[in-house]
Amino acid sequence: MSLDDDDDDRLGLRDDDDDDDKGSPKARLWLFLTAGVAALGAVFAAVSTSDFIEHLDRQVHSIHCSFIPGAGQQIGESGCRTVMMSPYSSVLRSSMWGGLPISLLAFAVFAYLAVRALDFALRKDLAKRDTLYLVAATLLPVLMSAIYGYIAMSVIGAVCKLCVGVYLTSIGSFVLALIAHSQADKKVGYNAPRSPPYVRWFAEGVVFVAVLALVYVGFAPTSEKSLEGCGNLAKKDDPNQIMLHFGGPAGAVKSVAVLDPLCPACKAFDNRMKTSELDKKLSQDIVLFPLDKTCNWNVKESLHPGACAVAEAMLCDRDNAKKILDYAFARQEELIAEAKADESKLRDRLTREFPGVKGCLGTAQARLKVTKSLKWAVSNALPVLTPQLFIGDRRVCDEDTDLGLEYTVTAMVEHPAPATKGKR
Amino acid sequence: MKDEGRALILTAVGLLLPAVCTMYWLGAAKKSLAESKGAASDVAIATASDDTYCTPALKQILRRVAGACGLLQEGGRGCKPGDAKSVAALSGDDFNALFNPLAHRAKLVQFDVDNTELDPGGQSAVEQAWGDQRGASFFFVVARASSDGDPVKNQELSQARAQAVLNHLQQKFNDPELKQEVGLLWLGEEYAQLGEEFCTWQRSRDAACTVKDINRSAFIAWIDCAI
Repeated sequence: MSLDDDDDDRLGLRDDDDDDDKGSPKARLWLFLTAGVAALGAVFAAVSTSDFIEHLDRQVHSIHCSFIPGAGQQIGESGCRTVMMSPYSSVLRSSMWGGLPISLLAFAVFAYLAVRALDFALRKDLAKRDTLYLVAATLLPVLMSAIYGYIAMSVIGAVCKLCVGVYLTSIGSFVLALIAHSQADKKVGYNAPRSPPYVRWFAEGVVFVAVLALVYVGFAPTSEKSLEGCGNLAKKDDPNQIMLHFGGPAGAVKSVAVLDPLCPACKAFDNRMKTSELDKKLSQDIVLFPLDKTCNWNVKESLHPGACAVAEAMLCDRDNAKKILDYAFARQEELIAEAKADESKLRDRLTREFPGVKGCLGTAQARLKVTKSLKWAVSNALPVLTPQLFIGDRRVCDEDTDLGLEYTVTAMVEHPAPATKGKR
Repeated sequence: MKDEGRALILTAVGLLLPAVCTMYWLGAAKKSLAESKGAASDVAIATASDDTYCTPALKQILRRVAGACGLLQEGGRGCKPGDAKSVAALSGDDFNALFNPLAHRAKLVQFDVDNTELDPGGQSAVEQAWGDQRGASFFFVVARASSDGDPVKNQELSQARAQAVLNHLQQKFNDPELKQEVGLLWLGEEYAQLGEEFCTWQRSRDAACTVKDINRSAFIAWIDCAI
């Protein structure tokens, strides 16, 4: 990796004043700024990492969602939460609960860049080769930002403000490093007697990432409860045929998901199952448990008005149940609003969209099917919440259905019997 | 300070700071996880309905009647007037009063004189009532006959009316749990005749209603009591 003066000319980085700036004071200024922006990137990544780690206790916490690092704590749904809960927020999710957060790696990289930029800014014989290394090093977060920005927009469909902070500081570090390089003294540049220790610097960067990753893996809390599950199905048989069989690959482990078609958490759960491809490891049966008081006596207020009507439709037209579920997931807010105003309009809409439900939706038989579905939950003494997932007979703990979903499901699939102690 | 020495210090500080922060956060999460392990869940468990009208007294009567009439053991055997009267240990009016809270839930399926067939209105009422199960566990069918005619025949009439409701449910819904859920009581004209006030309840017929009309009926309702 080298660049000569001609290359500088081509890139438009050459500065006619370079000859007069022995010791590159301008370059040092830009390097200080690079270090500052990299440190700001580290702060953004640190806040994001802190939020992620806080969730390792399997509880619900507020998360920071603001362009100002450390500000904007939110407990409800937000782009930051959606991104954090997505399978793209960490790697190795099947191997450890929650996986290794990408923000931790960003934290390490920015800390390293800040150190490197500061070191260059303070060294006596700053060479153009040094700043060239920094340009190359700052390209890494820019590339990662481009990849993750694309994933956030096109795959996850949500943008996290903290992540935007990371993207901007990545670009800022790169641009400032580029300017610093253009301002560096070329006389102490490529032809200087000292050979820059590119390999050592690169190795330092690797050490930064490796140390933080090892600290994380070594100190991350574990819980055997995740693998043991939270209870079993007492009566898994289905005499009333209320289960909807969504199927799965041959030989896949049987699972039962308890869902409400208008519950946002169920939609998010379904998305996580699909994006992490866990749905390909399981043969899925669905039990409907609408949290809507028009059919569900277990709730005093309708959390998701209209859910009973959608559940009826799914049980009326079993062949198209998956399509109806996907339709409901995609339009949850719209359908809930429609049901709040006039549930009969929602029923008309479902009949229009899915003609197979005609003559069944709203009948005693359809209502009874939903009742039987709810009774199945009663006979198994299930908690009044959705989603719930059973792998075989074992119930995945509620706290394992978001960040820890991949790890827990993978472990339960691989260990049908209670998992061995100490396994992470 | 030499470049190399400063670089080393910077690197050490730059590395330690994130590492210490990460260890601190992980330690806090570990502590919180340990503390949360013993915490009880405040999420309700799905249960069968147990409505506010299910007073201990009502439950006791329902349990006695349901038990004596076979509902709690074999299911759907049915109960004749003598059984109901003895186990309820109540006057007819008190027995009927037990069902007052079900005014919004119950339906009265009316029959013609000397007839045990469900007309279309009766069939529809049975289907509607059955479809409105919600969290209830027991479906009571309490059939009666008017005081006209022979008491023995009236007892047979009321039994046939209760059976007609059960037959229609079996035919229409093919529910494997039906026999464990439906309890039949046939009271003839001997016990707990309905008063005229029951004419204002939901009936299968819109026509004018007398005491005799309302007793040529089957009272049907899901009972929202966990008995």
